[in-house]
Amino acid sequence: MPDPITINVDGRDVQVQPGMQLIEALRGPAKTDTPAFCYHPDLTVAGNCRICLVETEGPRGWALGISCHMKTAPGLKVRTQVTSEKIVKLRKGVMEFLLVNHPLDCPICDKAGECTLQEHYMGQGRHESRLEDEVGKQYKGGADHRFTDSKGEARGGKKIDLGSTIVLDQERCIVCSRCVRFMDEVAQSPQLAIAARGDHAYITTFPGKPLEHDYDLNVTDICPVGALTGKHFRFQQRVWMLKSVESIDPSDSLGANLTIEYNVGQVNGKVWRLMPRRNPAVNKSWISNASRMLYQDLAKDRLTDGVVNGQDVPLAEALSAATAALTGAKRLAIVASGHLTTEDNAALLELATKFGTKAEVFGGSWLPVGQPDGIARSGDPVANRKALQVLGVPDNLDALVARAGEFDAILIAGNDLWAADAAKAEALTKIPVRVVLSSWINATTAKATIAVGVRAWAEVRGTMINCQGRVQVLNACPVVPNPDLEAVWQVVNQVGQLGWTTESQAWKAAAARAPQLQGITYRAIGPMGQMIAETAAPAAVGV
Amino acid sequence: MAKVVPRPHLSLWENLYVVEIFKGLMTTWGHVQKNVTTGAFETRNYPEEAPSLPRDYRARHRLMKRPDGSPRCVACFMCSTACPARCINIVAEEADRADIEKRPATFEIDLLLCVFCGFCVEACPCDAIRMDTTIGVMVHDNRRDFIITKDKLLDWAPADYPATDTQSQKAPGGTLNAQALAEFNAGSRH
Repeated sequence: MPDPITINVDGRDVQVQPGMQLIEALRGPAKTDTPAFCYHPDLTVAGNCRICLVETEGPRGWALGISCHMKTAPGLKVRTQVTSEKIVKLRKGVMEFLLVNHPLDCPICDKAGECTLQEHYMGQGRHESRLEDEVGKQYKGGADHRFTDSKGEARGGKKIDLGSTIVLDQERCIVCSRCVRFMDEVAQSPQLAIAARGDHAYITTFPGKPLEHDYDLNVTDICPVGALTGKHFRFQQRVWMLKSVESIDPSDSLGANLTIEYNVGQVNGKVWRLMPRRNPAVNKSWISNASRMLYQDLAKDRLTDGVVNGQDVPLAEALSAATAALTGAKRLAIVASGHLTTEDNAALLELATKFGTKAEVFGGSWLPVGQPDGIARSGDPVANRKALQVLGVPDNLDALVARAGEFDAILIAGNDLWAADAAKAEALTKIPVRVVLSSWINATTAKATIAVGVRAWAEVRGTMINCQGRVQVLNACPVVPNPDLEAVWQVVNQVGQLGWTTESQAWKAAAARAPQLQGITYRAIGPMGQMIAETAAPAAVGV
Repeated sequence: MAKVVPRPHLSLWENLYVVEIFKGLMTTWGHVQKNVTTGAFETRNYPEEAPSLPRDYRARHRLMKRPDGSPRCVACFMCSTACPARCINIVAEEADRADIEKRPATFEIDLLLCVFCGFCVEACPCDAIRMDTTIGVMVHDNRRDFIITKDKLLDWAPADYPATDTQSQKAPGGTLNAQALAEFNAGSRH
């Protein structure tokens, strides 16, 4: 990292990195709130919204410029809204222009509450409208304000079906071009474009083509207004009603950072959506559509109770049956899982240690490993595979199949072996007692003699180690289909009488087995994750 | 910072209480005299006999209607956000017509939780909810019936509202409905 330089912001000297975008320097080290619509830290600079303008001193005196398109340089002198009345006035003017054609849809707009236009109107606008309210491209679907584009097609639509995931409202769009740049630069699949000019400019796909991409829902997040909305969340909830916890993507070994947005209560208690959380070293600001839709599984086909020999039983009964079966077994196979947290796997290993020579630990997965897509997925569906390696769990499921006859009991935790490869897994039915800990009713619970429901990834606090060797924390969202459900480590703790009460004890047990994890605490990991000692340099994103 | 309220100083007579009790009973006796001789205090068989309430009274809610009878509510959740008792539960859905985007699929008010503060009426951006029904007495034999649904909230007749209440009269059956409906169907705003 180069030596910091000094720039002058509103008369204060501030230490910043040379050559960084001025807007980042203002927002970061200079602690000066700077508005922006078109600027996004993970996209190229477009400079078309003009709201971030500041005054800088040049050879011809103070001049206006947009801070997103300026780089920091030694001796740069900047005046912002703090000291310059001119900036305040000009930003107000920019806001007025942006709002000329913007409909007063806020009460029914899904973006309201997290809308950049609303925020900046309250911050820099607050002007009285000087327009008749009939003026606008199109108001409430009335035919008068539609216009015809150069191809002769009607434009100005309130509800344009862009593809299988997204609805476009052309009237709300402020033409910041973030979505166009996302599709061009990040998705590398140019499918969106700006057509026409001036106040007739609109976002569109190519004629007759839908918007279809594995990452296309990210455009709804970066849209500063409610022009692009995802069909899955359209009209579901107002955003201010949602609470959020930070977690990671459990379906991929990159572990894209995300937030779980939910609300509690009898009527609306539910996880409503997953939103990407910015982590420049992991997923930048993006998550794939597949990861984003994982929340839908949290309320679907859940194993909320226990199953013993095909009969639904309460959790406590299933747990005592499982405890009796596992402690009574003469030869026990324990299958650790890369789909579970490090804490859960530490508990399974601790259980094997406690049972001594009669228990043997197996691990791995039969799921096919794909290719990294270069954005926010590594292609490996086993999210916590790295933790299994760090903890020394062997990758030997095939050996388990070969030696299935040696065992009289098996404990499968959070690993849907029959769904991954039913032909190979079928050999495990030779083992008479099959205890399965699962969050969902699936092919493996169907083959279990005792199935115990456990909490899913969104409902537990724990850690996963991603393919870069970064320890990341999952936090627990309080929405649970059955409040009596417990995490895998808690169930194993009761089976093996490990005496643990919190997940940090499980984490310490994991650290005792893996020297790389020693000295790392939940607090030290933080929201951005922490690299473990073994891999000093992080691998490139998505690789 | 707690405010310290000084205790009122009581004289000896007041501290004896007996004198004060008889002073209070004198007021009661005075009212009895007045009622027997002049009938000034009316007695009502509540709740069988409903009190007559002014329009400004915050009574049971109703949902306003567009000229075609559909609810004016756009399911923006402003009322449920403003509600201090959290008694309004709305489920929104996509409307099946071009000029309306969003509408309530269900709209429920739990009248047992409601504190009748009127914040929902204040918060509504399209005058869709009002509390001017003058229904002040609600008697049901179970709790479920106190959760009032969208159908019940929309069940009112313009004839029960004054002719000067133009918004009510624009609803179906109202004196201003024919003209309002023609304008509405022609695509005007509402």
